[in-house]
Amino acid sequence: MNPHAITGCGVVSTLGIGRRAFFEGLRSGARGAFRDAPVETFDPSKYSDVQVAEVRGFDPKKYLGDKGLRSLDRLSKLLIVAARLTLDDAGIKSGGVWRAPEGDARGPWPDRVGIVVANAYGSLEAISELDRVALLEDPRYINPARFPLTVSNSAAGYASIWEDVRALNVTVSGGSCGALDAMACSDLMLESGRADVLLVGGAEAMTEALFVGFRRLGLASPPPSAGDGAPSPGPRLGEGAALVALERRASAASRAAKVLAECSGYGTAYEPPKHAASLVHASADALERAMHAALVDAGAKAADVDLVVSSISGLEPFDSAELAAIRRVLADDVPVTAPKVDLGETLGASGAMAILSAIAFLHDGAPPRPVGGTLRGPIRTALVTALGYYGSASALVLRRASS
Amino acid sequence: MLERIYVTGVGVVSSIGLGKEAFFRALAEGRSGISPVTAFDASSLGRRYAGEVKEFDARDHLSSAELRRMGRCAAMAVAAARMAMEDAHLGAASLPDARTAVVMGTTMGEARILEALDHEWIVGGERAVTRALIPQYGSELLPIHVARGVGARGIVLALPAACAAGNYAISFGADLIRTGRVDVAITGAAEILQSLQFSGFVRLAAMAPEKCQPFDLNRQGLLLGEGAGLLVLEGEAHARRRGARLQAEVGGYGVSCDAYHITRPHPDATGSIAAMRAAIRRSGIEAADVDFVNAHGTGTKHNDTAEAKVVREVFGERRVPVTSMKSMLGHCMGAASAIEAIGCVFTIETGIYPPTIGYETPDPECDLGIVANAAGRGKSDVLVNNSLAFGGYNAVTVFARPGRLPSPRSWSASDRETPASPPRPREPGADRA
Repeated sequence: MNPHAITGCGVVSTLGIGRRAFFEGLRSGARGAFRDAPVETFDPSKYSDVQVAEVRGFDPKKYLGDKGLRSLDRLSKLLIVAARLTLDDAGIKSGGVWRAPEGDARGPWPDRVGIVVANAYGSLEAISELDRVALLEDPRYINPARFPLTVSNSAAGYASIWEDVRALNVTVSGGSCGALDAMACSDLMLESGRADVLLVGGAEAMTEALFVGFRRLGLASPPPSAGDGAPSPGPRLGEGAALVALERRASAASRAAKVLAECSGYGTAYEPPKHAASLVHASADALERAMHAALVDAGAKAADVDLVVSSISGLEPFDSAELAAIRRVLADDVPVTAPKVDLGETLGASGAMAILSAIAFLHDGAPPRPVGGTLRGPIRTALVTALGYYGSASALVLRRASS
Repeated sequence: MLERIYVTGVGVVSSIGLGKEAFFRALAEGRSGISPVTAFDASSLGRRYAGEVKEFDARDHLSSAELRRMGRCAAMAVAAARMAMEDAHLGAASLPDARTAVVMGTTMGEARILEALDHEWIVGGERAVTRALIPQYGSELLPIHVARGVGARGIVLALPAACAAGNYAISFGADLIRTGRVDVAITGAAEILQSLQFSGFVRLAAMAPEKCQPFDLNRQGLLLGEGAGLLVLEGEAHARRRGARLQAEVGGYGVSCDAYHITRPHPDATGSIAAMRAAIRRSGIEAADVDFVNAHGTGTKHNDTAEAKVVREVFGERRVPVTSMKSMLGHCMGAASAIEAIGCVFTIETGIYPPTIGYETPDPECDLGIVANAAGRGKSDVLVNNSLAFGGYNAVTVFARPGRLPSPRSWSASDRETPASPPRPREPGADRA
């Protein structure tokens, strides 16, 4: 990929809303995921041992006003708020209003900004709500205003309407790898001149249907913690939305934008399982290939990597496969951090949460509680890794801005 | 310099035929794939017609292990992918596996699996949900099933771009080759009929009772369809090295977003016009070079009038031949522009324009050069495949007879300008109330 500038971040997460709150949360070692039960997204009373990483106190009205939120689902609201915060942080909008709507010689801003967002499960909220009406009452009574939410790209579509961004709109479905793959798609779009600024990242919303699915697979009720305040082992389902503003370096320079970090290499791979009957599988081989490809793409050597921001979440055999791949490619003592332990498994958003975490560490230095390795000196190059549930893996190289 | 990208194989599962030969024959004959739906009971809705694929039996195409791990949507995609590989004379042994991408579009993926899970949960509670079925849902799986089915090990990318997903997948796949990331891209889209989706379109008052009549004065809406369309794309060097037959060239593409309404196209169609112009410009040609337009043509009031504006605005006075294959296939949603892209390959290979069937009464608001009711013939060097989608998506891809487009330039500074669209007053309160 061509090295691109990251000129802003917007995030709605269990660690906080907005770049500063998120970075501060990481710095202070807050444990966003360490919550007992959802209070906003569904009634947890019929389930025992509910542990989810819900964004508490999320009030979209605070950011978007009172009007027009009624027909939206939680996923769209999370994404729209993240988009607005990103445009503000990148200095393109102020308080949600274009700083220069007429743009410059290259045309009006709305025509030059696009969205490329990863998401894994769409609006299970709307689909299960409509299924319930169709099954228990009659298909004739489903609410047509909620029907458009059933398509996976509706949140990105609503975000484009709310923020009036028209250059292009892409949704990528790639599980935990999705947001990294979205960065690769964005590289194609920027390099071919289809947009000047892309809001790139991911979003996923907590819903009862998603919780039930993961819980049924034994993935949403981790065993009790050791009791010393440490999070218990095992993944927790999370939610949130995270975006970066990605621009060609020249474009960022021409508007004198602050550059938070640079994204400079991407790699991905797929490996099928060995057994014909398998579907879910953790492929260390795929991640190893993806990491090598990302380093080659970035023109970096393994020794250049100061920190790995992994997708380790407390789920075996995925964690072991990911660590194995990291140890095969990089030196044994490279520190590996695992934002999912604090943020929860945010699925489509998780790659974007990892990218934002990497940006924070490139900025502020040492991450708290690495799951392995030792930090030596400043963090100049970070490698973000993601391992999918079905044999795919992706990796992304981020660098400190060359000021 | 950017490499030329060619279609070297196609595979299709559709309501008018399985496989390239049957599909091509049906397009030439103008056969309708519309029939009463049998997959679910739609009786309470007052609508029952769709382009349902009735002759597809997944067991004819998949192993028993494959049948156990995927639903109907992926089964159609894998079957079509294998047909496309065979058509391209590419086997697992000759595929550059680590440098082969799979890029797939869909709107709702395995919607019937989700429906089954949801129903179990609603009726029987958490413990009634079939565990083994849960990991089979998820759009990310579609390209993974295809990659595994054909032996690809490169990037797997799922683009749920609603009804523009086929054009997205084909165009992104082409870009991955153009930028040297891969040598081969297996691209396309798949969609299945499903009851909630069917009910939703009825509730939006968008579904016709019996016939889909795009651009007709008395059109009554869309009919849904299903199927899969897969295309093998190769860069010129790779295709020539192995002596592949070049069926069509994939030209440039244009994308934009209306940012106006979640389901309706912008009435001025400025985004759609910009996307079509970008596709033409990025192919290195002018509108006058285009011989045929495959319209999105859903048969709804809003789509067809907006799209007629696009064609008139882009092509001016010239009556470029226009067809909507949805008159035969119904609207195959995410798969539509992929299956119709294979229809474009058909026109390039045969010189035949597929007809818009059921066209009876011209609509003065859609005054276009419709290829009405019977197939036409004419110059077929450069074709435009148009699509629009929920979310305000517009995506347009150009297909051409090999050798007829100018050599692609590098992406240059001049491409790095989004064509400025005129300021658009937004409909007050559109979709915000």
